[in-house]
Amino acid sequence: MINIFSQLMMEANKSLYGLTIDPQNASKGPVVLGNGDFFIEIPVAFGCAFSDLTLTGANGTALPTAAELIDKGIETGVGSRMCNAIKVASYYLEAGLISKPDMIITSNSCCDSMTTLGILMNGYKPWADVPKFTMDAPHSFDEESYLYFGHQLRNAVTFMETVTGRKMGWDRLREVCVESNKQRQLLLEFQELKKAVPCPTEPDLARQGTEYTTWTSDRVTPTVTAWLEQLVTATEQRVKEGKGIDGVNEKVRFLWQDLAGSWASGTVLARLQKELGAVCLMDYVSYATWTPIDLSSEETMFTSFGKRFLLEDAMNRQALHTADLFCNDILQIVKEFKCDAVIMPAHIGHRDTNSRMKIVRDLCREHGIPCLVLGMDIWDKRYMTPEVVFDRMKTFFEVSGLI
Amino acid sequence: MRSGLKSDIFEKFAALAGSISNSELEGWKQQGGKVIGYTCSFVPEELFVAAGLMPFRIRATGSLSAGRADDYFEAANICSLVRHCFNKILTGEYEFIDGCVIGGGCDANRHILDNWEKSEARIPFLHRIFFPHSSGILMAQNFRNQLENLKQLLEEHFGLKITDDKLRDAIVLCNEIRDLQKAIYALRKVDNPPITASETIALVVAGYSMPKEAYKADLTQLLEELRCVTVPENKKTVRLMVVGPGHDEPTLCDIIETMGGTVVTDLTCYGGKTLFGSVREADPDPLQALADYQVIDRPLCPKNLDAHPIINREVMDKIKEYRVDGIIGQSYLCCETWGGELFLLQKELKEAGIPMLRIEREYTSDSLGQVQTRVQAFIETISGGLL
Repeated sequence: MINIFSQLMMEANKSLYGLTIDPQNASKGPVVLGNGDFFIEIPVAFGCAFSDLTLTGANGTALPTAAELIDKGIETGVGSRMCNAIKVASYYLEAGLISKPDMIITSNSCCDSMTTLGILMNGYKPWADVPKFTMDAPHSFDEESYLYFGHQLRNAVTFMETVTGRKMGWDRLREVCVESNKQRQLLLEFQELKKAVPCPTEPDLARQGTEYTTWTSDRVTPTVTAWLEQLVTATEQRVKEGKGIDGVNEKVRFLWQDLAGSWASGTVLARLQKELGAVCLMDYVSYATWTPIDLSSEETMFTSFGKRFLLEDAMNRQALHTADLFCNDILQIVKEFKCDAVIMPAHIGHRDTNSRMKIVRDLCREHGIPCLVLGMDIWDKRYMTPEVVFDRMKTFFEVSGLI
Repeated sequence: MRSGLKSDIFEKFAALAGSISNSELEGWKQQGGKVIGYTCSFVPEELFVAAGLMPFRIRATGSLSAGRADDYFEAANICSLVRHCFNKILTGEYEFIDGCVIGGGCDANRHILDNWEKSEARIPFLHRIFFPHSSGILMAQNFRNQLENLKQLLEEHFGLKITDDKLRDAIVLCNEIRDLQKAIYALRKVDNPPITASETIALVVAGYSMPKEAYKADLTQLLEELRCVTVPENKKTVRLMVVGPGHDEPTLCDIIETMGGTVVTDLTCYGGKTLFGSVREADPDPLQALADYQVIDRPLCPKNLDAHPIINREVMDKIKEYRVDGIIGQSYLCCETWGGELFLLQKELKEAGIPMLRIEREYTSDSLGQVQTRVQAFIETISGGLL
């Protein structure tokens, strides 16, 4: 059934799938290549393209040729148990499929695999003459850390100015931040609406909205703001009407505490929703804790950037910090979204989540929350197939008395 | 493997490195001394020495199982060194330590603290510091601030005062120890080194396991003994260097040396990586001197995005100095950062005409059967079958 939500999903997906492994072809300005998250408002205001090679690798795992790409990544010899998104990115790099960028900005955000990709990019011989800038994302979240990282982002701007000979337009940066604040506020509003029982619309729209505002060429533009406004308006209407997701008889609400990856949404999660009425309310990317960028001065802006990057970017929040923050988020999400269960996909490439399994299990036991640990590969469905994941989750819901 | 050299100090070092608890440690504790454990070579021992605490580097010597730790860390996806070390903690082998500082080098290592705090093995003083992932003045300042914070916490918890003078004295002591270790390492530059790789590992690991002043005295005496040794002419050998993460037990080196190779040097986390340069001794701000040493002078960890050129240069320099014929690049399964680093290094060594064998392995020696075959083939290839 095509409704407003399906249309919005298609628009966001069109933009997401429009991402190319060769951003230079789509870009008029200079190209910054990163190994992971960067503070996207900066390159947008600077008028240059930013491409995240981890995302490029992850998108590769969604292609029909995913298995072949992953195997080619293994053949590069970068490490047999490396995250497969990074293996694909490594293959793209080593095969010369990524055009030479104008500059490279890397950081340890947000896991060891992504850091390793940064090491490979910085050490890639054909790009030896590309100017490089590295940043240290601390594993802490306090004012001092925000200042520290904000200071590095400010230095990144100076680096970009030096490389390009252009100057940052500070008024333009403010303008972009105002737009960004609007978008983050709309994501928060959508998140609030998602809490309704039954869930008023496809919860995956939150992930798509976040990706749309962060990763696509439309990011931080009025086009995305308008998309989010439509999403919020339509969802509000739905909540008023007390309607749930079309065609879904909601029985179970659960938290998927990892990335959905390149295949789970379209296979397992969709099937669970349709066949069992089990709705995935939240995942690693969707969780919004945004606060507005403080535009009062250059210093407050950059400190806000530091905070957003370290604490509010969902993946950094989950992966960079302590088990306590991770656990508090689980409890908070379960409570606010009235989740019946926690699923820990435990993606094999995520060392951080794989180091917290007992803590999470104990936490869930203590609070009476059914918890299932899968141990799957979110990028490679050969490791644990969608059918196996579905069966395990179905059995888990059954034995937990949820269906 | 042993060189055959008769030395009481070698015997002592081998005993210290072969177990976790030891007589030196017990003597220290009996005199009322406190012991502080730590993980990762970027945690500066100097701070503990200045506090009058005995630093003890956490390791997994003798571990055969990580069974209890595997409840906390998913076995298939987490480095076995971390799991085996944590298992030793859970099984009470580290109950002699009065506190521990976790160096947040990699994702698995930094989670030791989270798990330890929530386990039954919890101890009152547990702290974590983070080694910066890039090098620069700002990062060194940040690391200095972390050290300042750690210093205050140590002072409060143990009821002591770490003065700048004590810190400078500790820096001098640790520099002297590094210089002695470097001098002993340098003895392996000759054709027939007087000590084997296993003895060298024991020598450095012992340094993490006993009071520093006593260790310095032992090293000084050992160096004198080694300088007087006349080594008999040996058969021709292939000179190898081991590069990779923590490597606290001798099994891999024994395999290499049994197969006809000689490990003449290394760049590993318990060994050669810690013998780089010296900390500034007379700095008005000794904490800054320690931070600069770790972050700017010695960022030899692939978790640091700026480290590769420095690691590469260090390896190339050592190849010349020690006349290395080939490199054994060893890392533990799931160690992503060393995986990336060894990948880059292998390409660069290939360009330089230096052969490299890449090994991914588990911590325990029972996983080394296949490694033995590969090492043998590697040595035969380098030697052209002449050994």
